[in-house]
Amino acid sequence: MNDYSFQFKFTFLRILNSYSVFKKGEVMGIDKQDSVKSLFTAQSAKVDTNRGDAYYEALYTQCRARLDDLKKLAPLNNRMDFKESIEDEGLERRDFLKWASATTAMLMLPASFTPLVAEAAVMMNRVPVIWIELSDCAGNTEALIRSDGPKIDEIILDIISLEFNETLLAASGHQAEKQLEDAVEHFKGKYLLFVEGAVPMGLNGQYGTIGASAETFHDHLQRLAKDAAAIVAVGSCATFGGIPAAAPNPTDAVGVMDVVKGKPIINIPACPANPSNMVGVILHYVLTGGIPELDSLLRPKFAFGYRIHDNCERRAHFDAGEYVEEWGDEGAKNNFCLYKVGCKGPMTFNNCSIIRYNEGVNWPVGVGRGCIGCSEPDFWDKYAYERPMANANIKAPTGGVEKTVDEFGLGLLTAAGVGIAIHAAASAVAGKKDNEGEA
Amino acid sequence: MIVKQLIEKIEGEAELDFTFNKGKVEDVKINFGFYRGIEDILVGKSPRDALVITPRVCGICNHAHLLAAVRALENGYENAGVNVEISNKANDIREFTLACELIQNHMKWFYMTILPQLEKLLGEVSGENHALKASYLSSTITKALAIFAGQWPHSSYAVPGGVTCDPTYVDVMQAENLVDESIRFFEQMVTGLPLEKYLDMDGLSSLHEIGGDFGRVLQLMGMNEMTEIGHSHDRFIVFGTCMFSKPGKSLATTVSNVDVRYVEEAEQNSTMAKAVSYKERLYEVGPLARAMVAKEPIVKSLHKRYKDSLLTRVFARVHEVALLLNYSKKLLKNLTLDEPSCTLSGHLKVLDFEGVGVVEAARGSLIHKTTVKEGLIENYEIIVPTQWNLSNGNDEEQGIAAEAMVGSTTTEEASFIFRAFDVCSVCTTQ
Repeated sequence: MNDYSFQFKFTFLRILNSYSVFKKGEVMGIDKQDSVKSLFTAQSAKVDTNRGDAYYEALYTQCRARLDDLKKLAPLNNRMDFKESIEDEGLERRDFLKWASATTAMLMLPASFTPLVAEAAVMMNRVPVIWIELSDCAGNTEALIRSDGPKIDEIILDIISLEFNETLLAASGHQAEKQLEDAVEHFKGKYLLFVEGAVPMGLNGQYGTIGASAETFHDHLQRLAKDAAAIVAVGSCATFGGIPAAAPNPTDAVGVMDVVKGKPIINIPACPANPSNMVGVILHYVLTGGIPELDSLLRPKFAFGYRIHDNCERRAHFDAGEYVEEWGDEGAKNNFCLYKVGCKGPMTFNNCSIIRYNEGVNWPVGVGRGCIGCSEPDFWDKYAYERPMANANIKAPTGGVEKTVDEFGLGLLTAAGVGIAIHAAASAVAGKKDNEGEA
Repeated sequence: MIVKQLIEKIEGEAELDFTFNKGKVEDVKINFGFYRGIEDILVGKSPRDALVITPRVCGICNHAHLLAAVRALENGYENAGVNVEISNKANDIREFTLACELIQNHMKWFYMTILPQLEKLLGEVSGENHALKASYLSSTITKALAIFAGQWPHSSYAVPGGVTCDPTYVDVMQAENLVDESIRFFEQMVTGLPLEKYLDMDGLSSLHEIGGDFGRVLQLMGMNEMTEIGHSHDRFIVFGTCMFSKPGKSLATTVSNVDVRYVEEAEQNSTMAKAVSYKERLYEVGPLARAMVAKEPIVKSLHKRYKDSLLTRVFARVHEVALLLNYSKKLLKNLTLDEPSCTLSGHLKVLDFEGVGVVEAARGSLIHKTTVKEGLIENYEIIVPTQWNLSNGNDEEQGIAAEAMVGSTTTEEASFIFRAFDVCSVCTTQ
């Protein structure tokens, strides 16, 4: 795959995200329609997956040196050394290496890096992680302890619970607070701060308080961010505000990047975020000592560099114009494309279509339910409904009210299935459409 | 003297304010300082949006919320004159995924909250990593769930009229394999008994046969007089229906009917959580309530001797896992794959309706009530199980959990009693 940054997709995204570019009633010209068509049918990977031998050789050396340095450190807090246990159990070792191989691919690294990734996984217990929860539902923590792979659950529970994670740790009350203070002091400047949940700013922050001193979530976050090496916002709430920030945003909730300044921030959105991506970010930190390449929304490109649509198992049906019209119909039985029942795959950047959920067993589209766009900002207001955007009858970002897809002459659908995409996407950005017939 | 105790290891945050008198707990106020406003967010949206929004109330019981929302919509459609008939297949799949969610919840509660806290309270630390056991079982059973639902947490594969998935025999076989593995875990680690033999037990006298981690907990609790503490009002209520539970209320052992229309919510002071009552009385919900209303023999036998003590409550929740594992296996076996997945059109427009959806979630009865006008949600109420157990009580009597804690001599013991109710704060305040 080549780096294929095409600027129209950028413009399209800016339109969706900024709500202000198109004036009401402006009709899309033919050249823009063509551009939208190419958006829906082209490869859209923003991530460069082949940077040449010299680059990877240098990276390998850098990672090797970093791992050797980490090996000199003892595991934090006398934790188990997993290397031995992995080497002992033969069958489990094979499974572990299979996981390492898949994870290497997920991180967009060549296969030669697999042994490094395997080593890095074991080294995760040299990296302090503090995990705090703000205005959340704990879905990301629940997803994380879902065993991303063999032995990984042990490693995760080891590295995360021993530092601080409200849902997992053994202590409680004042003891927990002390444990947190100790961890921050001991690992000052070195820990990764994982944040789950939005920051409620309304009522002077009183919509979320923690501890005997009723510290607001906002103050709690700022205090812990101060001494962190980097902050990883996990889940839609911590990244972009999530469900608490959905209209009318009763608690004035915002994401971490809206309040924390002056620190490296990595956003891993989705609702819940995919635990493989969380582990991937930690692994990247272990391997390189730095944060991965990020997009303009601070999301790691290895996971968010391409759309659901690009790798969807039902893409052939989209291209052939075969859609599910009703739940449970013949199309549904034959795994047809879910665009007409609201799948937002074409506008959503994430790697769910490849790595899936729950140890890769399945994902929403796999059970016949379209993507709700949960890794995009403001998706609750823009995407999370069971109808294509053209059918939404909501105020589109451009201010118009949409007509139904069928009114645009669905009968003219070509074998490419692009017709529907043009109509829907066009209407989404052009506001009210009268008789802009495709005849 | 008021002692504040913070509760960790739950979804969200909670705080207990204990008032001690002569060395014993006299009063407890339970406060939740956390609120997102999900009921407000739902207002003005299309009712089908509740299917994706309400699961986000909670990360561990999201599935229960999905089903309550779907049932509220289906009930609303029926009230508006639409004929709603869900195929057995769709119903069984929904029941199956719900059972999986309850199983992982109870086992996580047992291994990550109860066992470690009990060990600490009694100074009987075993040094084992119990969290790993919980993680293993919940990974396994949620994989089975994800085969039908797509992902866990947070999937919206249930729609009014049925489900979106169309599983094949291969999917069912995979799920059966995962359920069998979960049963194997339960047999080997939790009870030390084959599942069938465990389910045959019907009386107090057979309790000593239970081995494994559950056996150990029962023994420790028995030896430390935990049959004498944790008593509450001995009043139980269940609003949902499933294989082993039916709606009803149980005043001690007297069972009678209930009508969900008499459920009322009220604001409380100094906490974001609302109180809830049935005909102005407080009731306990959860696995113990379900067992009492369904007259589950072994639980009734325990209750006869120990009433609604701490031990009875803990026993009922772990016991439910055995029932659920058995139930899930049966559901998969009887699944008729050639029935339709969904019998209602997704384009069906029902513009005005009122609906109520009830589900037996892990912690008890979950109720969603909605009023829809002109195709948009006018009002949406979510009444969660923890609200029942943790309501702060009134002038006449303490709340359910508070009553259970009154009389305790230390905050540690009282907190442990509190944990037996399996608290979830994110749901309670939303």
